[in-house]
Amino acid sequence: VLKCNNMASKRTRRAVAAAEKESGGKEEKKEVMESGGAGGNEKEEEEEDDDDDAAPDEVPFQQAREEAVRSIKQALESVKREKLLLKEKRRQRQELFKEQKKRKLLPEALLEEVAAASQTSFIKSLGNIHKVHSCEDSEKPEEGNSSEGSEEEDEEEALDNRLKESYMAVRLKDQGQINLQQERAQDFIQDCLYGPGSNRTTANELFSLSNKKCFNKKAAVQFVDKSWGLEKKQKAEKFKKKWLQKQGVGTN
Amino acid sequence: MGEFKVHRVRFFNYIPSGIRCMAYNSQLQKLALARLDGSVEIFNFSNNYFQEKVIPGNEARSIEAICWVGHDRLFSAGLNGEIIEYDLVRLCPKYTLDAFGGPIWALASNASNTHLAVGCEDGSVKLFEILPEKIQFERNLDRQKGRILSLSWHKSGTQIAVGSLDVIRVFSVKSGHAVQRILVDRCVTSSHNRECMVWSIGFLSDYTIVSADSTGKVQFWDSEKGTLIKTHPIAKSDVLSLAVAEPEDSIVVGTSEGTVVQFQFLPLQSGQQECQWLRTKTFKYHTHDVRAVVHTKTDLISGGLDTHLVIRPLMNKLETKSYEAALRKVTFPHRCLVSCAKKANLLLFQFPDQLELWRLGTSEAMGEPGDTLPVSKKPEKLLQLKRKGQDNIHCSAVSPCGGWLAYSTISALRLYRLQYENDNISINRVSKSVRFIAVKFTLSESTNKFYAPAYVSAIYAIKPMKSSFVRQLHLFSLGGGGCTKNDQCLATSTSEPVVLLAASVDGKWLAAASHTCEIEIYNLKQLKHHCTVPLYNCIPSAMAIHPQTNNLVIAYADQQIFEFSIPEKQYTDWSRKLQQQGLHILWMERDTPLTNVTFNPKEPSQIFLHDTYMICIIDKTLPLPCDQTQLYNQLTLKNVPEQLRQSQVHAFKICKLFQPLLHADLLDDDWLVVVERPLMDIYSQLPPPIRQKKFGT
Repeated sequence: VLKCNNMASKRTRRAVAAAEKESGGKEEKKEVMESGGAGGNEKEEEEEDDDDDAAPDEVPFQQAREEAVRSIKQALESVKREKLLLKEKRRQRQELFKEQKKRKLLPEALLEEVAAASQTSFIKSLGNIHKVHSCEDSEKPEEGNSSEGSEEEDEEEALDNRLKESYMAVRLKDQGQINLQQERAQDFIQDCLYGPGSNRTTANELFSLSNKKCFNKKAAVQFVDKSWGLEKKQKAEKFKKKWLQKQGVGTN
Repeated sequence: MGEFKVHRVRFFNYIPSGIRCMAYNSQLQKLALARLDGSVEIFNFSNNYFQEKVIPGNEARSIEAICWVGHDRLFSAGLNGEIIEYDLVRLCPKYTLDAFGGPIWALASNASNTHLAVGCEDGSVKLFEILPEKIQFERNLDRQKGRILSLSWHKSGTQIAVGSLDVIRVFSVKSGHAVQRILVDRCVTSSHNRECMVWSIGFLSDYTIVSADSTGKVQFWDSEKGTLIKTHPIAKSDVLSLAVAEPEDSIVVGTSEGTVVQFQFLPLQSGQQECQWLRTKTFKYHTHDVRAVVHTKTDLISGGLDTHLVIRPLMNKLETKSYEAALRKVTFPHRCLVSCAKKANLLLFQFPDQLELWRLGTSEAMGEPGDTLPVSKKPEKLLQLKRKGQDNIHCSAVSPCGGWLAYSTISALRLYRLQYENDNISINRVSKSVRFIAVKFTLSESTNKFYAPAYVSAIYAIKPMKSSFVRQLHLFSLGGGGCTKNDQCLATSTSEPVVLLAASVDGKWLAAASHTCEIEIYNLKQLKHHCTVPLYNCIPSAMAIHPQTNNLVIAYADQQIFEFSIPEKQYTDWSRKLQQQGLHILWMERDTPLTNVTFNPKEPSQIFLHDTYMICIIDKTLPLPCDQTQLYNQLTLKNVPEQLRQSQVHAFKICKLFQPLLHADLLDDDWLVVVERPLMDIYSQLPPPIRQKKFGT
């Protein structure tokens, strides 16, 4: 019986898969029938696979079918249940978010006052981005009663909450793919020519080579030409001053 | 020569942009050169390598490949994914077409000029059909993985070789399938196991492929069998560019170390038939990466990130081993980026993205010739004017009184009124600005008139009336077509735009020179065409009208100088004499064109000229030098006793003290202003070069 159950469960699994693919009830049956019809061959194969000498118990076809149908139903039900559970979980989380939000917010009276005062200017300042949002909102059918609609809105709010202040919402449409691609291409060429392993030096070193090699040796260009490396020199000067000060303090 | 007090200006921080790619048109003998800032320059090799046209760049545009199609069509493509055809008359893009394959790295047309192939970032090769006045997408070749960095057509037009990351592919144009796939070795020795970038590729007519890659190798492949024929390791870093001569007997490559290497197809033993590609010559004229090379019939041309364009004539291709065989190096543009307000002691510097207005410093001290005077008041930057929009500035000018300032991009011309109150400066845009685009303009002195030739080959004379009002005075049409209602129109045959303008000080005459070498003179009082200067077969590089005699002095790109009397409508006697005797041979062999002509207000007989390496004062009262006399004789004259000096002086007084020179002008009060740009200052701001180990350092 164990054997048979095993087989049956295998079949049902297959059948469930089929059922999930094509939800037509008739085709389910067909599938099951087919698998039943081809049972002879399968039996042999599985016998070989399992290495078991005992022959499986005979199960009448009707019974097997019923069992299969039942298991399909069970599987479908379990899927439904899982979905429901997930929904419930989400809702709970949403409520948690809401509560958290409320906890964070200031007292209601104050909030209302602020909202009334700044609503107009806020809308103006948000400009396009807000407009896009509001457009989307208006496009949605008003489903205040249905749980799903409100959930989605809540999710959006939660998203807005999670966005940090330094982030800005932009439309991808305005940005364009071209810019990004162009940037990437420029990065590529920059990396190829000047990236790690490209063995680059500075202009100072390159032009100092001739000074170094000539008969009357001269200092590097940055010391010969006063206009070179001004920033670095200023930094060095600053550092020197600071260092001297420090030393002075230390000795005193 | 006369004594001058000199403002030696070194605060014009102009840095030319690096050269990215080049294309040569052997029919026109013109070289198109694209720089990293997106500008395109056209050098006319038949006119003494003169930079005849500059198409200003755009912030959003970066050019990666440029190519001539047919007789005179110029295309470019870049990382913004667009193919651009240029209008070489109006000096702006004619149209742009998105290839929809992401950034474009390579562009080439086939030998019969019917199709254009572009290599895109997404790994596709796209074919465009070339139609008159436009191009049209035809089809894609099979898309492969990896961006396409280079491509080359076979001469027959049936196959395209494509260089990508680690791989070279050969496509059949007819079927669109890849018929050959060749793997290129990565660099094993380097610690970074990087992909091998095939930066440049050439497809020879005997189905040999030449590739230049990032591992520093030039490799020859048999495209039919897909096998390697020969490897030439020529650099420790990338080989960036490659060009094949038209007869396919010579190849030139450029490396990121700054070397240019020539390969030649030579017989192994003299007299034998069997030939092989051999590395023959190595040149090192660049300090930075050589991003572009071109092989013409007689020259190797290279350009790179050190901003020089180097033209190296090949000795074995030249018949006369003379001046023709000299190396040429073009660093600075052949036009003025500086304009000078003579009366107000102001200098206007033109950068691609901004203008700077400086007031010159002063010095009260006196000294001996050669002394450095102490500066009592330092030069100050009065104004920094950023351009509007993304287009780079094409031309700019400040009026002699310093009260007006104007600049033009390819999309608009802007005119500003400047007012100085003690140390404050106020700037107002003349609001009713004009709706046209100037290629070159000049601001006249006495009447505050303003002349701007637009690309449609018309000159507008504009008179700004008050601070915020502009009245268009007159339109001189050169095109021969359009004649507006109220304006008198003078038709000539030219359709090319004006490159140079010169207005006389008294506001009566205006001279305009076009690319077709025609110089027209207009009478501004009567508002009509006055005469045409006899056609000389070379592009004028500078011209000016003498304030007293109204003689037009023209300097041409081939170093010739002419003086044309406007009232008499003919060349002056001095000019005829100069032509009869001929200019000194050393004068003719200078390799930078004269970029500015001006006159000494104290000495009417003197003409003041300069190019990048010298200042010259021509004294018309003195005898002209012949080929036997010393041209650069200022130093010897100094050491010669007074009596002998008289016999040795000649008209050309040349001073080479200030180099390299971007601008030189005479101010009203005995001062000379020279704007120098030392090369080392430019070098210090270039991108980092490749490190090279030199023995003993």
